[in-house]
Amino acid sequence: MENLMNIKNLKKSYKENEVLKGISFEVYTGEVLCILGPNGAGKTTTINILTAALGSNGGEIEYKGKPIGLKLRAYKQALGIVPQDVSLYEELSAERNLRFFASLYGLHGKELRKAVDEALVFAGLDERRRDKVKTFSGGMKRRLNIACAVAHHPELVIMDEPTVGIDPQSRNYILDSIKKLRDGGTTVIYTTHYMEEVEVISSRIIIMDHGSIIAEGTKESLKESIANEKKYTIEIEENGKIAPDEFFSVEGVRSAKIDGDTIEITSLKGVENLDRIIALLCNKGERIRNITSENASLEMVFLKLTGRKLRD
Amino acid sequence: MRRFLVIFKMDLTNLFKNPVLVGYNTLFAALLILIMGFLSSGNYAQSKDAYQYYTVTLLIYGILNGAMTASNCFMERDIKRPNLRIIYSPAGSFPIYFSKLLASFVFDYSLHLLLLAVLCPLLHVTLGANSLFFILLMAPVEFAAAALGTFFCCVFHCEETTSMLLSIVVNVFCILGGTFFSLDGLGSAAAFISKLSPAKWLNDAFFALACDNSRGLFLPVLIGATVISALLVLGCRLFFRTEDYL
Repeated sequence: MENLMNIKNLKKSYKENEVLKGISFEVYTGEVLCILGPNGAGKTTTINILTAALGSNGGEIEYKGKPIGLKLRAYKQALGIVPQDVSLYEELSAERNLRFFASLYGLHGKELRKAVDEALVFAGLDERRRDKVKTFSGGMKRRLNIACAVAHHPELVIMDEPTVGIDPQSRNYILDSIKKLRDGGTTVIYTTHYMEEVEVISSRIIIMDHGSIIAEGTKESLKESIANEKKYTIEIEENGKIAPDEFFSVEGVRSAKIDGDTIEITSLKGVENLDRIIALLCNKGERIRNITSENASLEMVFLKLTGRKLRD
Repeated sequence: MRRFLVIFKMDLTNLFKNPVLVGYNTLFAALLILIMGFLSSGNYAQSKDAYQYYTVTLLIYGILNGAMTASNCFMERDIKRPNLRIIYSPAGSFPIYFSKLLASFVFDYSLHLLLLAVLCPLLHVTLGANSLFFILLMAPVEFAAAALGTFFCCVFHCEETTSMLLSIVVNVFCILGGTFFSLDGLGSAAAFISKLSPAKWLNDAFFALACDNSRGLFLPVLIGATVISALLVLGCRLFFRTEDYL
């Protein structure tokens, strides 16, 4: 794939607080690059700098081999941005919102009308085109929020957590829309803290934590790094009798974490040790409610890299 | 230029669709003039003099309060979010604040002209032998007020703070300037303090045009308001940062 963007050693600080600690990555044409990380990881700051709305304290951003500052207007023309919050005029209709935002990108006349019609179909809002946005559900607003960013057919769409707080039906609609964009050759940068979304749409993944990139690759390559591990999640009646360290006496256990009445144990895949873990719990007088077992997942990758869950 | 006009049209539409702002600049202003004129009509030789006084002073009060129209247009919560998309667009940062400033000016100026068109014949208020000078002089002052509101927004990045500060500043200037009652009759010290208020200078200039047919203060006010506007727009350019919107 062709290199579309080069981000080199990007830094951002607010007084003493270092939000981005010199991150570097590439974006390739036609891919869906997911930036995954918990709240406060630096995802939104990265996005704001990529959109040229926020300055950095160091580093370079190149678009098609040239620093974005050299041709900022052309760079912005090539972008479509979906902000984290719904950014629409509530008192205006869906159609008027689209017309306004698309005309900011130089569209007018027939070209504008065509772009607006296509965007309304893309968002599944063609029948509600004349209704005021304030009458829409949260999911419909989110869909229109995306349509406003893609109406002018940008080369690169940047989406900052576009599915926060919506129903599963709208979420699926949005994820399908992203696949359509990708299939049409549009490059997408997508930030989220939902693993399941990343599983569905990503071409490549960047995992961020505390302002740094801690892993990068395809979902397959990231899972491969923990392919020899599996995870047990054990729910118990009440805790207080066993400590995490005690699980290390069982062969194959790599990590153990107790959170309230839930115990999470990572173990080597080839070692059959569940019976010994259960025996240990029973000997300690714990009453087991439920046990689930899971093979390599992105959640496990994140847990391994950071020592905590994505939504801790 | 096309992008600027698109943004300007949207900003102006948003203002005219705001019932609170339209009501404040028309109905509320008219009621205030009628009530103040009626209550103080006994203090004047003819009751129409009271209406003449309050039409001019409260019009200037309304013009100066136009600064808050700009702050509403610029950073009101429901407008601020979609404005974010303008920042992301190739339109550049200048149209973001300047179109708000211009829209606020056009909105306030047109509503104040409408107010005068209704009240002047109704209350027998005169704007001078040639009312064109009165109407012309309103324009730079309206623009300067809108520029002040936009500048405050660029500095304080928040509608609430801006409106609160502007409200204090405008009300203090107007009370001292004799908008609600003249301070000249309260002794030489009060009259001197009154003269420090820009509202007093504006009252004097507009009364000179309306009642004395004197254009002596026309140019100083015109030039002063234009220079202040230019400085405030320059200030907006210096202080406006797109990241304040994020």
